[in-house]
Amino acid sequence: MPEPVSNITVQMPRAKRAGLLLFFLGPAVAIYSLFSIYPLLATMALSTYTSDPSGARSFVGLANFETLLGDALWSKPFWNALRNNLIFFAVHMCVQNPIGIALAGLLSLPGVRLKGFYRTVMFLPTMLSVVIVGFSWNLILSPLWGVAAGALKAVGLGSLFAPWLGLESSALVTLSLISVWQFVGIPLMLIYAALLNIPEELIDAARVDGLGQFRIFFHIKLPLVLPTISLVSVLTFVANFNAFDLIYSVKGALAGPNFTTDILGTFFYRTFFGNQLQLGNPTMGAAVATVMFFIILLGLCLYLFLVQRRIRRYAF
Amino acid sequence: MANLRIEQLNKRYGATTVLNNVNLSIEDGEFVVLVGPSGCGKSTLLRMIAGLDGASGGDIHIAGKLVNALAPAERGIAMVFQSYALYPHMNVRKNMTFGLKFTGVPPTERERRVAEAARMLRLEELLERYPRDLSGGQRQRVAIGRAIVREPAVFLFDEPLSNLDAALRVSTRVEIANLHRLLKSTIVYVTHDQVEAMTLADRIVVMNKGRIEQVGKPLDLYYEPANLFVAGFIGSPAMNFFEAEVEGIEGGRARVAGTAFRNLDIPAGSLKVGDALTVGVRPEHLVRGEAGFFAAEGVVELVERLGEASFAYLRRVDGRMFVAEVRGRQTPAPGETMTLVAASPDVHVFDASGLRVAT
Ligand SMILES: Nc1ncnc2c1ncn2[C@@H]1O[C@H](COP(=O)(O)OP(=O)(O)O)[C@@H](O)[C@H]1O
Ligand SMILES: [Mg+2]
Repeated sequence: MPEPVSNITVQMPRAKRAGLLLFFLGPAVAIYSLFSIYPLLATMALSTYTSDPSGARSFVGLANFETLLGDALWSKPFWNALRNNLIFFAVHMCVQNPIGIALAGLLSLPGVRLKGFYRTVMFLPTMLSVVIVGFSWNLILSPLWGVAAGALKAVGLGSLFAPWLGLESSALVTLSLISVWQFVGIPLMLIYAALLNIPEELIDAARVDGLGQFRIFFHIKLPLVLPTISLVSVLTFVANFNAFDLIYSVKGALAGPNFTTDILGTFFYRTFFGNQLQLGNPTMGAAVATVMFFIILLGLCLYLFLVQRRIRRYAF
Repeated sequence: MANLRIEQLNKRYGATTVLNNVNLSIEDGEFVVLVGPSGCGKSTLLRMIAGLDGASGGDIHIAGKLVNALAPAERGIAMVFQSYALYPHMNVRKNMTFGLKFTGVPPTERERRVAEAARMLRLEELLERYPRDLSGGQRQRVAIGRAIVREPAVFLFDEPLSNLDAALRVSTRVEIANLHRLLKSTIVYVTHDQVEAMTLADRIVVMNKGRIEQVGKPLDLYYEPANLFVAGFIGSPAMNFFEAEVEGIEGGRARVAGTAFRNLDIPAGSLKVGDALTVGVRPEHLVRGEAGFFAAEGVVELVERLGEASFAYLRRVDGRMFVAEVRGRQTPAPGETMTLVAASPDVHVFDASGLRVAT
């Protein structure tokens, strides 16, 4: 039997203990249930119904999921969105997080001046509205009135310019990089905070051992902030598979050109609410949302069982 | 193994001066302890020797070589930190060999050195363990082992025992002393604990507010403190001080008078009538008696019994307290009036600027 954490609560009368539990845990449980658990369960329930043109709903079991994954009309855009989403996630993992780690490493070097200034500047885009970020980059990269073409020309690289957001080959990666630009402050801050936690004497010991700042970073600091890096990866994963707003604000719900920037969020949006010629289909939308939930759940389970258990936190 | 020479060393952080013109010369193989109250600049001095902090001015020579511009690893030093600073993600063996890898020591040589250090420090059983699975004392030994394998010319210790409990502190102290006898290397050791300083040091450097107050052998500091600060810092309980004044000078002798003790007679030297003095006597040098070179009276207020001795806290005529050590089973009772005397070699006199006056 586990030790009771506190003898005070163990010795309390039952009623008083229940009252105490209710007082401390009640509000959180109530809010969490109302705004998270109930909608989730309601969505799952809805995904097992279908509605006829009159609006009447009837129970169909898992038929919606069969349609989604089996019917080419549904499965093609679904797999396309999932694939795009994986690319979106991969760009964040390969660009955003390494840059965040590198910037945090630079900021944590001794003797860097204007630390506070750099930190603020690098975190600033994160605090901007996605709509503003999307709109600004749309303008910047526009071949007609954007500054990107002119800026490249000014440094003699004008031939490199292309309407990146408009090309099927580059639109998704460009959008991913815009998102990276906006959110790089989050891994930066989390990892910077973890780096600050490493005791000064440990770094001094490494200096006495003959390591330069570069090696200290790779051999000492990086292994010690691995738990934070893995946390950042999970946060990135969840955020990326729930992403919607940037694509919607730059490309609209159709996620053009030709659905090359369509991710699960935009696919879900069109399915649920409808778009232009497509009618909204709440029950199919609920099925898409449920699949998204299970994708994220699967990712988190893989992380918990394969990664988290092998990572050790160090107390200094 | 090497000597160490520090010349005119200064350290400033903005407007605050942390080290002020420090000069120190340490012989090859000497065990030197830097001692002083917290914040006096001991760690700063040690870190500057290590090359972890830069100097604002002055020179450091190790083994006759000017090392001002050298990185810590190039100075031939090894450092043991107060928090041990073991790498938490490496086992004991890796902790010890890690630094050697970057200084170009070949693998077989690395293993030889680790095996030797492990034998010396009784770490053989622990080589595969991680720091988190070690006790404080074991971590401390690993930290020392990591320093030994570097085979440095100079060992630097920064309060290495202050995170250990009292019993372990004593046994580790003995181990460090043994290690020094075995390795015969130069050691600079920082502590704020005067017992550590007295027991370990060949020479003690007493620091205060960024200055060196006195450098000397432990017993020299104890018996002939150069100034008021050292007199008050070395010894526990601290030396008793009595305000005094030169009352008269006759035939090369000065008559020193104070409200709380009977008049003293010391060589006049350069003293003048009216000079303010401080007379100091250690509690352990005061004995019950009627007449002596120095004699003071007081009413016992409190007695602390430690076993081998007891400390009597007495109220003097001028209202302040002084302490006397009483040996044996017969301890004075509170309320009792005692006269305590001390012999001339045990009485220290300091002038108005705090410097020792010959007695
Ligand atoms: N980086 C720093 N900036 C400003 N003041 C410092 C710095 N490091 C140390 N000091 C000051 O220098 C003085 C000496 O510190 P230190 O050498 O650590 O003392 P100690 O003798 O206790 O080891 C202290 O008053 C401390 O406040
Ligand atoms: Mg210190």
